[in-house]
Amino acid sequence: MSREEVYLTDLHKSYEIRCPVHGFITLNAWERDIISHPAFQRLRRIRQLAWTDQVYPGAMHTRFEHSLGVMHTATLLYSTIRQESAKILEDELGYKEAGLDRDLQLVRLATLLHDIGHAPFSHASEDLLPEHEHGKKYKHENYSAAIVRTQLQDVIENHPLNTTNYGFKADDVAALLEGSTTARQRLFWRDLIDGQMDADRMDYLLRDSFHAGVQYGKFDLNRIVNTVRAIAGIRGRAPRFGISQGGWHAAESLVLARYFMFTQVYFHKTRVAYDIHLKGALKELLPGGRFPRPTSEELKDFLKWDDWRVLGLLADGKGGLHGKYLATRSHYRLAYPSPEVSDEEDLALVEKIRDKLGDMIVAVEESKKNWYNTGRPDIPVVSDVDPSTVLPLSKYSNVVFSMKPINQILLYVAPENSEAANARVKEVLEDERNRQGSLGFSPSIS
Amino acid sequence: MNETDKARLALVPVLAERSPSGRIGRTALMKYLYFLQTLRGLPLGYNFSMYSYGPFDSAVLADLTSAEVLNIVEAQPVQFSGGYGYRIKASSHAEFAKGNALRFLSIHNDDIEWLFLTFGKLNSAELELTSTIVYIDQEFADAKSQLSTCEMATRLREIKPHFSRERINGFVEDLLQKNVLKATVRASMQSC
Repeated sequence: MSREEVYLTDLHKSYEIRCPVHGFITLNAWERDIISHPAFQRLRRIRQLAWTDQVYPGAMHTRFEHSLGVMHTATLLYSTIRQESAKILEDELGYKEAGLDRDLQLVRLATLLHDIGHAPFSHASEDLLPEHEHGKKYKHENYSAAIVRTQLQDVIENHPLNTTNYGFKADDVAALLEGSTTARQRLFWRDLIDGQMDADRMDYLLRDSFHAGVQYGKFDLNRIVNTVRAIAGIRGRAPRFGISQGGWHAAESLVLARYFMFTQVYFHKTRVAYDIHLKGALKELLPGGRFPRPTSEELKDFLKWDDWRVLGLLADGKGGLHGKYLATRSHYRLAYPSPEVSDEEDLALVEKIRDKLGDMIVAVEESKKNWYNTGRPDIPVVSDVDPSTVLPLSKYSNVVFSMKPINQILLYVAPENSEAANARVKEVLEDERNRQGSLGFSPSIS
Repeated sequence: MNETDKARLALVPVLAERSPSGRIGRTALMKYLYFLQTLRGLPLGYNFSMYSYGPFDSAVLADLTSAEVLNIVEAQPVQFSGGYGYRIKASSHAEFAKGNALRFLSIHNDDIEWLFLTFGKLNSAELELTSTIVYIDQEFADAKSQLSTCEMATRLREIKPHFSRERINGFVEDLLQKNVLKATVRASMQSC
């Protein structure tokens, strides 16, 4: 049977995939074909949280199911904004019903494909993406856009559902993913893909919590979906995403979920140690110590890299010393963590400990450089009584107001030096206690 | 903390202090850093991409909050009719942060002076618009192609329909006169 004949029979069928977080996720025939493409199926072989299973054994889920979940969540958020903020969408972005129908499909495709460019083990290996000509490193979004424009071009552009109803080019999806001005008024929806309250974050917090078996990432998704809004642009500025007043507690819970997941899962000391070893091993495994570029010449080589390939090479004893650390679970040990919110004195103490440990230190990891960490949230909350009153979430939430960004520093030593390093750290801390005592401060360092 | 981190942290209070009022908002901070990196080549390592409100990188907000925690700046929300903004000004440890990046600040002193001469009088909406014009121009420059002022206005109105073509043309012309745009060329009015 030709491809065209298959489409004619199945074109208007919808398909459902069971999801442990959201229940059923519904797809159309076009989305189903995209998901069936080998470039998308590769996501089944890219774990969402790298080696986090060494701490939380259930965290074995993949970018595949996350991508489906983000598309589903984005659809829910889009639909509410469309219904509740129609006037803003029309007045400020020129949207009519037909345009909103059309762009919903584009947003679904962009969110479905937003992570298709991930390297093996997701963010843990992103440091090994190469630099482009301007000296900046490529990000996985650049790879996602490149894969959409090349490998997926045919299945996006020539599917009968597209040619008959939408006429989208692969470039339309890529522009929304990477933030190109060719996305035009649709740039407004980029906040659904990568923003303060994006569908990506909402899905990964719930999904990562579920699989890790922790409760830290839970928040009231249904309430956020019910209360998300477009906030009118003020004084000539562009409109943006926000939340109605009735939903601010749910937004607060989202912020807190992110904070807890960062401290308990994403920046867990042992998970961070495994990230270090993974990067070290990949440097040995990759030609030139870096991933292929997202160019027409190298993209196919990039797509050959997935977790299976890396694990196979590690099983063959490759990956150098870091490969051995991974294989034997004999990972670097944490010698000293600064407080989660470190002030100048805390950072000065880190420097003293670094001096004392000297060559023993094999890695220094900063939370602020971790992909999951960002600045203080700035979610606009629109009054239910007076829509012209918009205040930041921190004005409503005492908890968010008081939150400080995490800027923790972790110092690691080799496992064989762990005891000696602990002794040296204790010496520094004791000196510091004595120094504070001599200055008349009550000892605060334990 | 590497040299780039130090430079980024030092720039937050410097930009606030050097602005005419001694304080800036978050939009101004975002767009000023975008201009410095993109138009003057300061090696700040940000990854700006386009949103409906102009070029944005969440790392700028992460740096701002780090600067707040370290008492390098303070940022207070201020409410006005229909919305709110932030007022960022240098704080007690600003000198410490600047001291960590003295060489960087010295090398780029002229760039910061140029920044305020070129963009210092623009309000938030104008900064959103201007930075979007620059972003479009850069996209064409990166692709080694050109666009006319008419095409620029058309592209901009697709992103920001509420700006009139005349207003956009005024900003584009101003940027052309200041030699900020690389890929945009003047078109005759008849061709628009």
